[in-house]
Amino acid sequence: MLDALASGLITGNTYALIAVGLSLIFGVADLVNFAQGSVFALGAMLGWWCVAELHLPLWATLLVVTGATALLGLVIERVALRPLAGAPPIAPLLSTVAIALILDRSLELAFQPESRRLPSLLATDNFRLGDMRFGTLDVTIMGVSLLSVGALWAFLKYARLGWAIRATAQDREAAQQMGVNVGAVQGLAFALASALAGIGGLLVGMYFSTVEPSMGFNAGLEGFAAATLGGLGSLPGAVVGGLLLGVVESFGVTWFGGSTRQLIAFAILIGVLWLRPSGLLGSPGVLLREPMTGTFFAGGAPVRIRRWQLALLILVAGVVLPLWGSNYLLRVASVVAVFAILALSLTLVSGTAGQVSLGQAGLFAIGAYTSALLTKEHAWPFWLALPAAGGMAALVAAVIVSPVLRLRGHYVAIATLGIGAMVTSSILNLEWLTRGPLGINTIPPPSLFGHVMDSARDFYLLSVAVLLGCAALVTALQASHLGRGWRAIREDELAAQSFAVPRAGYKSLAFAAAAFVAGIGGSLLAHQYSYVSPDMFGVLVSVLALTIVVAGGMANVAGAIAGAIVLVGAPELFRPLQEVRMLAYGLLLLLMVRFRPQGLLGSA
Amino acid sequence: MPTRRRFLLSMAGLAATLKSIQVAHAEDAAVFGVSVPLSGSMAEFGRTWRKAQTVAVEEINEAGGIKGRKIELVYEDSQGDPKQTVAIAQKFVDDRRILAVLGDIPTPAIMAASPVFQKARMVQMSMGSHPDLTKAGEFIFANQMSQRQIAASLATIAVNRLGKTQAVLYRNTDWGKVVQSIYVEKLKELGGQVVLADSYLETEKDFRALLAKVRAAKPEVLVLIAYYTDGALLVQQAKQAGVESKIIVSEACYSPQFMKLGGDAVNGVLTQTLFFPEAGRPDIQKFVAGYRAKHNEEPDFFASIGYDGVKIMAWATERGGFSREGIQQALLKGEGIPSVTFGPFKFNEIRRVGVGALAPIVVRDGKFRLLN
Repeated sequence: MLDALASGLITGNTYALIAVGLSLIFGVADLVNFAQGSVFALGAMLGWWCVAELHLPLWATLLVVTGATALLGLVIERVALRPLAGAPPIAPLLSTVAIALILDRSLELAFQPESRRLPSLLATDNFRLGDMRFGTLDVTIMGVSLLSVGALWAFLKYARLGWAIRATAQDREAAQQMGVNVGAVQGLAFALASALAGIGGLLVGMYFSTVEPSMGFNAGLEGFAAATLGGLGSLPGAVVGGLLLGVVESFGVTWFGGSTRQLIAFAILIGVLWLRPSGLLGSPGVLLREPMTGTFFAGGAPVRIRRWQLALLILVAGVVLPLWGSNYLLRVASVVAVFAILALSLTLVSGTAGQVSLGQAGLFAIGAYTSALLTKEHAWPFWLALPAAGGMAALVAAVIVSPVLRLRGHYVAIATLGIGAMVTSSILNLEWLTRGPLGINTIPPPSLFGHVMDSARDFYLLSVAVLLGCAALVTALQASHLGRGWRAIREDELAAQSFAVPRAGYKSLAFAAAAFVAGIGGSLLAHQYSYVSPDMFGVLVSVLALTIVVAGGMANVAGAIAGAIVLVGAPELFRPLQEVRMLAYGLLLLLMVRFRPQGLLGSA
Repeated sequence: MPTRRRFLLSMAGLAATLKSIQVAHAEDAAVFGVSVPLSGSMAEFGRTWRKAQTVAVEEINEAGGIKGRKIELVYEDSQGDPKQTVAIAQKFVDDRRILAVLGDIPTPAIMAASPVFQKARMVQMSMGSHPDLTKAGEFIFANQMSQRQIAASLATIAVNRLGKTQAVLYRNTDWGKVVQSIYVEKLKELGGQVVLADSYLETEKDFRALLAKVRAAKPEVLVLIAYYTDGALLVQQAKQAGVESKIIVSEACYSPQFMKLGGDAVNGVLTQTLFFPEAGRPDIQKFVAGYRAKHNEEPDFFASIGYDGVKIMAWATERGGFSREGIQQALLKGEGIPSVTFGPFKFNEIRRVGVGALAPIVVRDGKFRLLN
């Protein structure tokens, strides 16, 4: 018992360090910063370079890491966020996703992908707590997170600049009217938060004794969970959240096994949000903010597609491509179609109903597994398994998203992220049903009147047909009475409620309808790959889906398809660039958000 | 609006230029495709492959190529992502110059691409160890032994040399799961006892809670079914957590990186290997010398498998001719196929390497040494 508690506190310590920076940025800029994990990784890699290659002492290493990451924070704020003031809040979020992508790839190019040993300059096992050993390093980590919270608190409370930060956090416009240089304040907050992340990377790297360029992503996820648990924007909350998460995970691992860590982390997060929608120490004021997708879409009207244009597009996609396109093109297009379907599901829930979901991959996975198991184990034909996959995903979604229905804004995004991660984690752990990490292989290809559809062209035609069906379904739903109800909720929940639009029920329906579409996409994916395994449905897939709809235009059916063509097709287009291509992809994304925050085809 | 259009146009232009300046291929080269993660979280393993394969290509070409034709590899970065390997597979299949394909590395990436290769009747050879990996058809091969022998051998070494009460921790992936179940089965057969078996996520870095369980269970032996990255972390943290059991790790830890990452903590750790640089066989000596000369480091298990892949393809092309089906036939029927990892072998009925000899090794003074 004492063991689990001790190891949990030590681990939670490292989570707290990342969570504090995230919470600071959230407080000032009202933004969930996806690049925080990447800055953390940069701190770790720079630390490795200073310690292992340059043989600098600890103080000099700390100085270099702090300086470099603070500077990077300023740059990120300047390049990715300030130009987006006034855009819907989802645009800067996506911008930080692009920055994260660019940073991760640059780190990989600069430092090579392999893991490196970062020798700890501080002892790691000179103290004992029960049977668990810990060291000066652990105490330092704890010291840094507490000290930074303390110093930040004093700074915010007593320094004039600190007042400016708080004023900006409370009311941006009012602060601006009082002569506060809001941009500079935001820059300062980013510099502070990034320096914290950098120091965190260095210390956590020493704690694990190993660093690698890709270490930021998972650290960032744990940081999100910790910060949200404590209450976004609350600095003491970040520390409490981090420690609590560490301890709960540690007990979970002790009782249920090492593979349940993520499941437990996100289950506790959802549980707490259910009881306290703004986290343990968060201020409920956040709840009053407008929906993340924005009430007023910048840039105005969506690009209208006329009837003849639509007919022409369908002709090209349905006849010209399959007749003259190369097999390679058709394969890429089939994959694009599957991801377009996944994106369409978000067009409903995030676009029309205004609920940002980062958990769509989980519903996608449910569809894929349902279809795989039904066709392979129970010999169902594909044509029955396809709707069954959608139905199963819808059913599960209606149940599991219920804790989300009370939440608002960023909390919806992070809670759905948690739900998505819980679904894939459950698939990994429910071995009797899903074969766990082994996945399901040799899933039969669909067949039509005895003809086995396994060529590139067959798959393509099938994918396009299903995509068109889903597009028609989503369009019909948007135009229906239900669709108007969803839009009312998106624009103003309170007003909608006072006009007797049943808020919770409608939201639940939006998630279920979206899950149906995502499940159909998942089924198609399973038969295209003939293999599914839990690691095919990670958080990155959810992020990709959201990226597609935002880039294409929220609530815009054609936009989701255009977004999928650009974002799933782009890595193929850039293929000749070899290893640099994901960097190019990140830049493309950043430019797209910068110059067209309302999406390629605009938002409806 | 014009800005965006201009931007998209310039992007398209850039892509087109890059296509046209791709190195012109030597006339009549024997071309093989390689689909591996060269960026992303699996890049470490893909790049090791490429390093080793460069050595193999140079060796073959310096010795006059395959029947006078030079060998050439075309790399595509898959990031280990199945949605990219499907496209890459089709790209390779459509490219008539490409005779066969090596890769990918992670199981989902391999399996998603297999139906495309099988449909096109083109050989896909990976190093995957998933038990169902080659079920997609008779063009899907793996130059890797079945875990049935590898894991059983590890269990035998652990029981004979270290002790019978054991705790097993495994990486919760298809590989770890399979190794673990075969290991435990063999252990029980040998009269051993599992006091604790637990798994951890691929992305895990913090093993303190798990190791506290191990310490409480007090096994004679701690078995780590891990790659060298997580293996090195586990061994170090075990020391910190006060675990006093003897430690044996799976053969995937056989890499100089294991010592680099693990430092002093890995001294005394046992493992096994199929391939050992100091072993006497001339083909091994040649590979190791070539790898050292080219990259100034020691090759590991991933490197030896990657190197083998190229050599096996060259061997099959020599016998089966410069055609996709010819290569498949040569692989199916051939005997004494060269391999620095396994020694000369033939593919068994599930198109895997049938037998190979595993040697127990130990880390001493920061180096792997053969145990006699």
